[in-house]
Amino acid sequence: MRGRRTVVSALTILAITSVTACSAGSLGSSEDTDGATKITMLTDADEGSQSDAKAMVAAFQKANPGVVVDVQAKPSGTDGDNLIKTRLQTGTMTDVFTYGSGSLFQQIAPANNLAALTGDAAVAKVDEAYLPQVSVGSDVYGVPWGNAFAGGVMYNKKVFEQLNLQVPKSWSEFLATADKIKAAKIAPVIQTYGETWTSQLFVLGDFHNVAAAAPQWAADYTANKAKYATTPAALAGFEHLQEVHDKGLMNSDFASAKVPDGLRLLASGKGAMYPILSGVLPQLEQVAPDNVDDIGFFALPGPDAATNGLTAWFPNGVYIPKSTSGPKLEAAKKFLGFVASPAGCEVMAASNKPTGPFMVQGCSLPADVPQVTKDIQTYFDEKKQSPALEFLSPVKGPNLEQLCVEVGSGISKADKAAALYDQDVKKQAQQLGLEGW
Amino acid sequence: MNRALTRWGLGGLAILSSIVVFLVPFAFIVTTAVMDSRQAGEFTLAWPRQFQFVENLTTVLQTRDYLLVIAFINSTVLTVVSVTALVILGAMVAFVLQRRKSRLTGLANFLVLTGLIMPPAVVPTIWVMQKLGLFGGMPGLILIEITYGLSFTVLLFRAFLATVPRELDEAAIIDGAGPLRLFFRVVLPLLRPVTVTIIVVQSVNIFNDFTNPLYFAPGDQNATVQLTLFNFQSQNLTSYNLLFMDILLITIPPLIMYLLFNRQIVAGMTSGAVKG
Repeated sequence: MRGRRTVVSALTILAITSVTACSAGSLGSSEDTDGATKITMLTDADEGSQSDAKAMVAAFQKANPGVVVDVQAKPSGTDGDNLIKTRLQTGTMTDVFTYGSGSLFQQIAPANNLAALTGDAAVAKVDEAYLPQVSVGSDVYGVPWGNAFAGGVMYNKKVFEQLNLQVPKSWSEFLATADKIKAAKIAPVIQTYGETWTSQLFVLGDFHNVAAAAPQWAADYTANKAKYATTPAALAGFEHLQEVHDKGLMNSDFASAKVPDGLRLLASGKGAMYPILSGVLPQLEQVAPDNVDDIGFFALPGPDAATNGLTAWFPNGVYIPKSTSGPKLEAAKKFLGFVASPAGCEVMAASNKPTGPFMVQGCSLPADVPQVTKDIQTYFDEKKQSPALEFLSPVKGPNLEQLCVEVGSGISKADKAAALYDQDVKKQAQQLGLEGW
Repeated sequence: MNRALTRWGLGGLAILSSIVVFLVPFAFIVTTAVMDSRQAGEFTLAWPRQFQFVENLTTVLQTRDYLLVIAFINSTVLTVVSVTALVILGAMVAFVLQRRKSRLTGLANFLVLTGLIMPPAVVPTIWVMQKLGLFGGMPGLILIEITYGLSFTVLLFRAFLATVPRELDEAAIIDGAGPLRLFFRVVLPLLRPVTVTIIVVQSVNIFNDFTNPLYFAPGDQNATVQLTLFNFQSQNLTSYNLLFMDILLITIPPLIMYLLFNRQIVAGMTSGAVKG
């Protein structure tokens, strides 16, 4: 008898727990939609992205009472990329989602997986400079989410003032400036290889200069006609990195420092210039809230002061997958239209401090943005900017950051790293099925 | 004198190294978890300048509408149900495979081994689950965890069953026990040491699983605790104090399990391993 009781109790435990398993999940989601169209949205899980999305959704729902948007989260980085591809492939994507533009966007096979928005009211106000980043052929698939940012050098204005220095506009000026800073016992160039992606700035952030020297380079590069190792203008980025290392211009803990360490060095005036993406601004505000306005921004200088300009990164896009249809598709398009409107920009600007200009017509930056953003805006206003290579060419090898760390640490030489990177790129280009590889 | 010195010296060294390997990282988690965001960003092992235990705890709990609470419920349900089913199913399969040898035994053993060898592919699995209507929910995820854990469980049980004398089964059968009664009343209690091992190992595995919940049960309503870690990190801004508070909260359940079952785990491991 007791034996049967054990079996029965084991089975009841199983049954009870599996029933609770079904109901446990529904604890958080609100079901009171009252016949409104409910769409789901996927964006990064971190606090900043979530609060942006929530603020946007709140403003949108106020303007469109018939639609309810449920914000969901995904991890950032490689896990998130894989998740997006998996969900698109299996037709289980949310109705709206944010993802990278440019070459990242090309990698999710937009023509197969995304709903085209060409000619739709949703994309009417998108800046023309941004459209190629979310288009395949003549079809447009997305609208910008947030603002553009830039790759260049964050510098400590107080240090520059004390040493009576000017913003360098050519590479030789940059080296001269660095020497003077070094003489004052301040680390001239900050590098943070504890987070390897930061090592690529000298190469990726130098692209404006490459484009200035060889306007067709990006197209030739995609077609396998131009190489980093054989184009002097492109090789310059690697050479600059090697020069900075060889001349001992880096902070002493460059090998292990992380971005917050680099920003702390910069804000405290123990380091003067930090080549980085302006997207790290929120982190600067967290690390050194009192010194944010001491920090300015200038573009990585090239050979010629006359062509000095900024390498710009475009914001992520918001897309609709093909699996969304009917009233949900209409609602999703309405949402995208709201995101790409001056009202949407205002929500974004209020939710977090912009790190660069918006890519929507009729949007302007609020007056109280940090100095870095103002400096970047100046480059955009003067039209002295060009998009980064990753927006012009889908070709980007996975190992650039490791190669740059090697050059910056003095393990490898510039020409060798550039040649290795050209090989690295080859595999990826073949995977994408590009012509000429 | 010299020998005593060597002995004490070696013992001390062992204690010291285990402190460095196990306690220092834990101390790092605990101290970072109670720091303010500014000091946590420095990412060093230091005494917190400002204790923010309660603030950090409430922030972490409240993030994204108390997602962590839902995640804890989900993770508990997932772990308890999957492990219960794993133990019962695994023991049953192992019992039959071990006791009733037939021509199919070799094939069955091979299939169990394939479960260990073959890497599970995500996209085809999702297709199958969609066809069965199991995708995107807790029941589907539980089945996934059971499937992925079953091979290992069967292997452990089978190895241990070889050490249980056949005479015990025979005596029970002579006394009139049916197959179910024989299994639940005689065999399962004898498997206690290895059952504890499996419970602990698989609970920790499933509780700490990240990729399966991520791919097979998307959506906030299915979130498990490991997925909440991404609420606090991104490329441009990571709140280390909140991240480590979350880690601390998540570490506690497996830690308690290890403390409670420590002795049985070791006993079960060795008894299952020596004889085969």
